[in-house]
Amino acid sequence: MTSLLLASRTVRRYRAQTVLAIVGVAVIGALLFDMLLLSRGLLLSFSDLLGRAGFDIRIVGGSGLAARLPIEGSASLIEAIRALPEVERVGAIRIQGATIGSPGKRPAAVTVIGATDAAEGAWTLVSGADLGSATAPCPLLVGRGLASALGVSPGSILELSIRPPAIRSVVPPVACQVVGVARFAFGASSDDTVATTLDAFHRANGEADPGDADLIVIASRPDAGSARAVAAIAAIRPGVRAYSNDQVVEQFNRNGFAYFRQISFVLSSLTMVFAFMLVATLLTVSVNQRLGEIAALRAIGIRRGSIASMLLWESALLVGAGGLLALPLGEALAIGLDRILRQMPGLPEQLHFFVFETRALIVHITVFVVTAIAAAAYPVWLTARLPIAETLRREVVG
Amino acid sequence: MLLTLFLLSSTVVLAAQPPSILISRQLAERAHLRVGDVVTFANDPEGTRRSQFRVAGIYEPTPDPMRFTSPRIEARMHLPDAIDVLDDPADPASREALSGINVALSDPAVARRFASDLSARAPGVVAQPTRPAREDDPFAVLERFHIAISAVTMVGGTAFLLALMVIRAEERRETVGVLRLVGISRRTLLCSVAVEGVLIAALGALFGVLLAVATEGLVNRIFQARYDTSLVFVRVTPSIAARAVAIAAPLGVIAGLGASWTLLRRSILSIVRR
Repeated sequence: MTSLLLASRTVRRYRAQTVLAIVGVAVIGALLFDMLLLSRGLLLSFSDLLGRAGFDIRIVGGSGLAARLPIEGSASLIEAIRALPEVERVGAIRIQGATIGSPGKRPAAVTVIGATDAAEGAWTLVSGADLGSATAPCPLLVGRGLASALGVSPGSILELSIRPPAIRSVVPPVACQVVGVARFAFGASSDDTVATTLDAFHRANGEADPGDADLIVIASRPDAGSARAVAAIAAIRPGVRAYSNDQVVEQFNRNGFAYFRQISFVLSSLTMVFAFMLVATLLTVSVNQRLGEIAALRAIGIRRGSIASMLLWESALLVGAGGLLALPLGEALAIGLDRILRQMPGLPEQLHFFVFETRALIVHITVFVVTAIAAAAYPVWLTARLPIAETLRREVVG
Repeated sequence: MLLTLFLLSSTVVLAAQPPSILISRQLAERAHLRVGDVVTFANDPEGTRRSQFRVAGIYEPTPDPMRFTSPRIEARMHLPDAIDVLDDPADPASREALSGINVALSDPAVARRFASDLSARAPGVVAQPTRPAREDDPFAVLERFHIAISAVTMVGGTAFLLALMVIRAEERRETVGVLRLVGISRRTLLCSVAVEGVLIAALGALFGVLLAVATEGLVNRIFQARYDTSLVFVRVTPSIAARAVAIAAPLGVIAGLGASWTLLRRSILSIVRR
């Protein structure tokens, strides 16, 4: 108790130093906290986006998850997958570039999604009705940004013209009715997205037969799990590229996320060193200033352990106050930094780089406790070796 | 034309020389290939339609910051050879199709207008400049992110510097008191503190720049080995070094003046504790 009292008196006595040290630790701590949020933020956000879609397995046509290539013979594959006992639901998705506009107006370039039984979680309805409940031959869900740019609302008519890639198309546009305005889970803020049913998609594409799906999404039965369902799918068609959500996240972690994981590791290490240096230097200089005072305390009977404890408390008060302030400051800073990074072109609007998790908070607190102890180590060693009589004599003579 | 194909087998030496290809260093290392080896390429894993090529050379792929996390398992071949490999007998137009055409403009400044004109004249053709617009450039976003982080670090560093200067000012309280007593003006003392602040901050910044230059090679080597690329990740340019010193020096002056002013604004007697 005496040590804590002495430490709190010291920090109050050197007010300017204390305030500046706390500000420095808080700013550096905020950066450290943000780097901890960044280290897994994108991964957590991506995993959350995938989980929200309600499907735990994805089948793609290309060699990677990013490529949009048609899955050969997707109709028969979907039927075979539906019959599997491990599978609960199957949905098919097609994605293509298109133009859309009000009759007589200049069309806008959009990404069109044709989906059957796959809508759950892929978008959140903002107004109007979903595709399933619509009776129009070409029902259309329009992204929020596009709806406000085109000035359309549920009931409006838009002309949709799908452009097959690298093919000159003379198929006339199809009149579609806007049934709802939605927020697309994987839609980029800069990319205007619309969705319709697969039947309407085929018609707008001018296809005689339904084309192959670009993506098949599957919900496995809870008692079977995604791993067993993936194995069952691979057994019915060898070579099919089926990935569970965990595998998708793992692939994303290995490729797309490497840069941010590394920069967060480098910056959190640097900020940790910086915070340690800041507190250690301030404590050392402050102890050097108060050597006479500390020798006097020792001379009146205060034990070496109590002095060490006092310095530890001083360090804890500075680091603790700074560390606590760092949390709200870090949250505010994370909002700003997240806003900057989300300007990346082509990034899903609902993806975030800085995501709070308890693990980050625990690591933050642990790092600060270690920093407080490590920063006090040298000043404690200095005071422990302090020759009382000689120091007091030097103080009086000086 | 750049192709990434399935490699079936190697080191089959034929009497008649097959067409030549170049392979990336990464592919050569992975498949244990050397110049002169004959390899078989096919465009499907079963190798139903295959062709043989002789490795004429091994190249280091041009570093691409957008793809540095993917291994560059690539080969380059003459366009007619690539068309023969990729030819789809079911599609008569496949021999006429190209996946991309590179165009070098005599005036690169008009690239955006050229792409727009071409897209308008040939519907279905996607023409885009290789240099993205500022708003479409992910590296411009990363630059903004790095600047924001630097600004935060600078604020933390300034608080650190200010705290140190306050302690130093307090340490020299008696010296300052004596100097004031013998008639040295506040202005002169503040000037000397400002000069000291500039020197400390400039020396600190210079040390930082030297540290960055010294560790630049190490950081690059670690990341280049990690991603098997020749991409340069860190480069300390003279303009970056100059910017670091130019920002640090005024901060040093402000910290020095701020810290000293808390002492100098007091009366002389208060400074000498009388």
